[in-house]
Amino acid sequence: MATGTAACRSFAIAGTGAIRPPPPARRGTLGWLRANLFATPLDGAVTLALAAAIAWLAPKALAWAVLDAVWWAPDGRACRDAAGACWAVITEKHRLILFGTYPYAEQWRGALVVLLFVAMLAASAGPWLAARAKLWGWAATALAILVLMLGGVPGLEPVGTHLWGGLPLTIVIFIGTVAGGMPLAVLLALARQSELPILRALAVGVIEVVRGLPLLAVLFVASLIFPLFVPVELQIDKLLRAEIGMIIFFGAYAAEIVRGGLQAVAAGQREAAAALGLGYWPRTRLVVLPQALATVVPPLLGDVIRAFKNTTYVAILGLFDVLGATKVALDDPAWSRHAAEAYLFIFLLYLVFCLAFSRWGMAVERRLARRRRG
Amino acid sequence: MTPVTRDLVVELVHVGKWYGAFHALRDVSLGVARGETVAICGPSGSGKSTLIRCVNGLERHQEGEIRVAGTALGSDGSGVEEVRRRTGMVFQSFNLFPHLSVLDNLTLGPIYAAGEAADRAGRRALALLDRVGIADQAAKFPGQLSGGQQQRVAIARALMREPEVMLFDEPTSSLDPERVQEVLAVMEELAAGGMTMLVVTHEMGFIRRIADLVVFMDQGEVVEAAPPALFFAQTHTERARAFLGRVMHL
Ligand SMILES: Nc1ncnc2c1ncn2[C@@H]1O[C@H](COP(=O)(O)OP(=O)(O)OP(=O)(O)O)[C@@H](O)[C@H]1O
Ligand SMILES: [Mg+2]
Repeated sequence: MATGTAACRSFAIAGTGAIRPPPPARRGTLGWLRANLFATPLDGAVTLALAAAIAWLAPKALAWAVLDAVWWAPDGRACRDAAGACWAVITEKHRLILFGTYPYAEQWRGALVVLLFVAMLAASAGPWLAARAKLWGWAATALAILVLMLGGVPGLEPVGTHLWGGLPLTIVIFIGTVAGGMPLAVLLALARQSELPILRALAVGVIEVVRGLPLLAVLFVASLIFPLFVPVELQIDKLLRAEIGMIIFFGAYAAEIVRGGLQAVAAGQREAAAALGLGYWPRTRLVVLPQALATVVPPLLGDVIRAFKNTTYVAILGLFDVLGATKVALDDPAWSRHAAEAYLFIFLLYLVFCLAFSRWGMAVERRLARRRRG
Repeated sequence: MTPVTRDLVVELVHVGKWYGAFHALRDVSLGVARGETVAICGPSGSGKSTLIRCVNGLERHQEGEIRVAGTALGSDGSGVEEVRRRTGMVFQSFNLFPHLSVLDNLTLGPIYAAGEAADRAGRRALALLDRVGIADQAAKFPGQLSGGQQQRVAIARALMREPEVMLFDEPTSSLDPERVQEVLAVMEELAAGGMTMLVVTHEMGFIRRIADLVVFMDQGEVVEAAPPALFFAQTHTERARAFLGRVMHL
């Protein structure tokens, strides 16, 4: 056994093993249960406690939400003595909840907007469209949505933005926030790294001030204080003012994320591009940003999801997004007792959208990782 | 003092450069004649990278004159576009663009900096990849290639603009020993084809075979300069002797 000399106590032994497949893993249901739920005594205890809680709660929830629920009650009377949920509040009020005060006869336009948005979201989620096609697709979708909502073209009656509401309004604000906020974020991040001290100071100022304020304050400033200083002829519409506030807020937060991405790009990349004769903008657009943004997709997507949820804040300014419209629907005394069901519906609506965004982000991340590995 | 009759592609006259208070290049004068290869060697921190990066304006010199292919490079950055149009640079760490395919790495500069048509640039790129022996890798991404292959792509990328001079900053220093030769072979072929080259390297075999002039630098200044045969036969300074003693025993 002693292959070393007397002076050396370390050793290595030449192996004789042939190339073999790995030893079999424990498989089957029992193996899975053991590995995932009962790995240690504590695991087992937690598993049992949770199982007991579910066994106790699930029948009650099922009875409330399905078995004893009322799905149909034109005037709300059928709900009064039901033991379960009153989903009738949604069947009855869905037009108001989903489309707010948008003219009743024109609400098909709002439905089309939601459909367009969901379709484009689904089309962007997979690998089947090139980045450029996606960008143009979104630009076209945004334009179509705006035309549909505003009207004023042949065949579409004009509808003022003060009448917009519900889910289409949520979608319009969201798309506007991201479409305006992303470029702002990139510009702020680039300015913060600029060689010009004035530009740098300006970017730092905007980013730090806005990030130091709650979104509500930014919205109030954009909506209430801003008009005080602007002549009446220049007063812009309420929705646009809210949108500007949302864009600045989104831009300031996302700028810091983009900056992190910019810092992750090796200096050699900029130098190589410069040596090839590419000026500042081409090398930023073609070499630096694609790499910088790719590294920050997950946190950026977090901001995008937050922007979707933040649309609810516009209710404070008297704009009725889907949550605001729900509140209005519940002002009806016949239905005000069933707020829980209505809000549960909204909860599910937001959950579906936000889950879709985060699945999308995970898919993008996987695709980028695969490419990086080669 | 300034030689005017030698057709110099790169010419540095009394160049000075500081990083803050640190004097990184001290009164450097050197010329690279058309079709010749000049090798720069010297200990770490002696200013070799600084010098070569000043030649295409990646670093700005503060004193003296730099002329590349007839264009004066000002210490204020003037003339830098013209100079970069006529120089190709190869870095120690390749610096390929990881998000672009090999082919796109080559065509990016010509298309977006020189306005060349994409299909023409693509054809030239394939021809150059063929010349450096990796035409079959054109569709891959840099991360899928070996170090030696990446550096050959980088050389092809630098050649895309048909430069009058190629600058190499330790092109083989981050390669596995068995990959060094494939890159050196490409460089030798370039030199044989009449390319003007300024090369920072410690590959003594390469210097011996290819270089027309060896420049030894230390602490920001040129200490000795001689053709390789002479340089290796008799170094005049103690500093050069000590350095040669170290690298030859590697
Ligand atoms: N951006 C910078 N800021 C400050 N000092 C620098 C900078 N770049 C280089 N230096 C200093 O200048 C000197 C010369 O550096 P340079 O990179 O040119 O050396 P080198 O000869 O290329 O060395 P190596 O063989 O290690 O690459 C070193 O002392 C280095 O620390
Ligand atoms: Mg160096």
